[in-house]
Amino acid sequence: MKIPKLLQAVLVLIGVYLGFILVFDVLLDAVIPSSVLAMYMFFVAAGVFMVFTFEEDGTRELVAPIKALVEEPSRRLIRNIVFVVVPVLAGAGTYFQMVPSLDAPVELRSIHPAPPTAIKVYGKRVNLLKLENPYRKFEKEDPEKFKELVAGGAKVYIQNCQYCHGDKLDGKGPYAAGLNPTPLNFQDVGTIAQLQESYLFWRIATGGPGLPKEAAPWISSMPVWQNFLSEEEIWQVILFLYDYTGRRPRSWEHDG
Amino acid sequence: MTGTIRKTALLVPVIAGILIGGPVWAQSEGPIRGEAVYQKRCLMCHGEEGDGLGPAAERLNPPPRDFTLGQFKIKTTAFKDPITNDADLIRMIGDGMPGTAMPGWSDILSEQEISDVIHYIKTFAELEEEKPSDQIDYGTQVKSSPESIATGKKIFHDGDRCSECHGAEGLGDAVKKLKNDNGERTWPRNLTKPWTYRASNDAKDIFARVTAGIPTTQMPSFTNPKSKKKLSIEDRWHVANYAASLADAGKKVRAENTVIKAVRVEGDVPTSPDDPAWQQSTSSTFFLVPQIIAKPRFFKSANDSVSVRALYNDKRLSVLIEWDDRTKSIPGDEVAIKIADKGMSPDAIAVQFPVEIPAGMEKPYFLMGSDAKPVNLWRWSSGTTEKPESVALIDAAGITNQQPRDAATSGLSAKGAYKDGTWRVAMTRLLTTSETAKDIQFAPGRFIPIAFFNWDGSNSEQGTKHTLTTWYWLLLQPEAGSKPLMAAIIVALLIGGALVWWGRSASAANKETDL
Repeated sequence: MKIPKLLQAVLVLIGVYLGFILVFDVLLDAVIPSSVLAMYMFFVAAGVFMVFTFEEDGTRELVAPIKALVEEPSRRLIRNIVFVVVPVLAGAGTYFQMVPSLDAPVELRSIHPAPPTAIKVYGKRVNLLKLENPYRKFEKEDPEKFKELVAGGAKVYIQNCQYCHGDKLDGKGPYAAGLNPTPLNFQDVGTIAQLQESYLFWRIATGGPGLPKEAAPWISSMPVWQNFLSEEEIWQVILFLYDYTGRRPRSWEHDG
Repeated sequence: MTGTIRKTALLVPVIAGILIGGPVWAQSEGPIRGEAVYQKRCLMCHGEEGDGLGPAAERLNPPPRDFTLGQFKIKTTAFKDPITNDADLIRMIGDGMPGTAMPGWSDILSEQEISDVIHYIKTFAELEEEKPSDQIDYGTQVKSSPESIATGKKIFHDGDRCSECHGAEGLGDAVKKLKNDNGERTWPRNLTKPWTYRASNDAKDIFARVTAGIPTTQMPSFTNPKSKKKLSIEDRWHVANYAASLADAGKKVRAENTVIKAVRVEGDVPTSPDDPAWQQSTSSTFFLVPQIIAKPRFFKSANDSVSVRALYNDKRLSVLIEWDDRTKSIPGDEVAIKIADKGMSPDAIAVQFPVEIPAGMEKPYFLMGSDAKPVNLWRWSSGTTEKPESVALIDAAGITNQQPRDAATSGLSAKGAYKDGTWRVAMTRLLTTSETAKDIQFAPGRFIPIAFFNWDGSNSEQGTKHTLTTWYWLLLQPEAGSKPLMAAIIVALLIGGALVWWGRSASAANKETDL
């Protein structure tokens, strides 16, 4: 059976729309703001219209059912129904567009903003591209010492970080639910496993107030840890984060 | 030689265990493997010696369990049996302890690992060989009903049986200082917040706590033969049904609810916390978290949430802030001093607004703003026996940069009332003031960032030691007026008219061709 052209066009539009919802809202859990979705759908509709009306036959076939509905006397009943329903829907749409929204404004958030090449921490300038965890080498050179350093990091973590990032490093500490944005889940493969240790050092040392200009919406509750922890403690807690979760930091060698 | 024999002897049950498929292995190796789990997952809070004195202990409220006592809060063995069931331990570890830093581990640890770590935990109190003997007798459960709840309420208050600690309305507003067996401060449960029960507010769970008591705390067993307040099985079900009925869903934080919707009223806005007019707006509840960003930091908070509602008219905005606080902290007051920690300060609440409603996404720093983006704080204090309650208007540009200013010129006033474990504070201010450079100017229809700070004076909270919320929104609900409806009618008529015209002209054309 051949699907009428008009129905084809409508099905394509619905399919694309549901596709957007499925991919962004459901799979990625990142809801698209309705204004953005409306813009996308406008272009999709324009594209579909162009494809379907590329040939004159196509155009005729596309509008035939509409033309028939309006012109053929035998379809009077359906026509009358359509002539009532369409204006009512348009009116309702206008009404809901104009009634003021009571929903909170959408705050787009950039996760893992690009780091600057150099930062100022502990009163000195540090080149982030060259910064390495001074303790990482002991993992191979002196496993006993490495174990002690990780244990030191665990102590730093439990006394300072677990309130938000959680005992299980899953971002669900006792105070996590009171924070927006919610604390990072280090068990998640999309967090520390994607980052270099120098990146973690930067984010920990300078906290929410140290976020760069493009890191909207600048409301992270992450404290500025250089006010409370020594450099050594930060490097140790980074060792602990990777050790506990079993993840590996990214490094230049592995990236290559 | 002996060494080899011993090793071989050890290997036999191990190999047998592998062959048989588990149980023997678990029994012989359980505590050893449990130790490994303990060291990775538990030691940091519960300590190397299981005494609850891990590195985290000093910053946790409530403190981590001391396993050397061999006593646990969730216990379904009878009062006279000091041993806790394994099922209770599995539950505490697997599901965690709500309202504490103890998370549920069932997503990370396997059943076997939990069982192993339980073996190991028992060794701290040398209980690994002990088996529970007497279970709680649940009798026949009395289903909850208005009659049962009424009976339970009577028993709850009879001779101040439960209300002595849990308060007249069950909010846990203590009249005496409670301590656990280790001498640490404990607080009676606020029965209206079931999500903070260590177990749950299921009647069966409450029945079990009332029956066996909560070991190591001052929650007694109401089956203790020595107790004058002893209760029959049936009465314990009534009390459990009553306690379960106290749950107040309005105090529960709903993550999606980030907007306080101020409703427009005709006539005056309320300025007193007890005004029935507040019922016209619904309340939004937000978590309070301790301040750990500025020095000195604060970890052991007592209050956990604030509920807020708001009303406005053409001149004023009024905000009602309610929060459960077990202690009314009025320095100088004898009752307050009796239950407070040392160095009591007044209780206080502050509302924070940006001086300028942001046009884009960028808000002031949530912890009292910055030089570039200052904030207004409306800070109410409960006062002392010498000095009455008061409200201060503060210009803040960071937690260390706060300048008080005359509240009256901006028309800011506040009034608070404490009853049965809840503070209610009403604050009101003019929508617009003459200090346009310093005061926020309210306008209906705008999403206005709003945040809260709370000090529990009996919990040593003052200065930077307090709890806070991050930014939420206040919206003065605009009146839509008749515009949307008019526009909708016009659009519907236009489109309808166009369609009719199209139909008519088409059929007219048809007729012409027919002719």
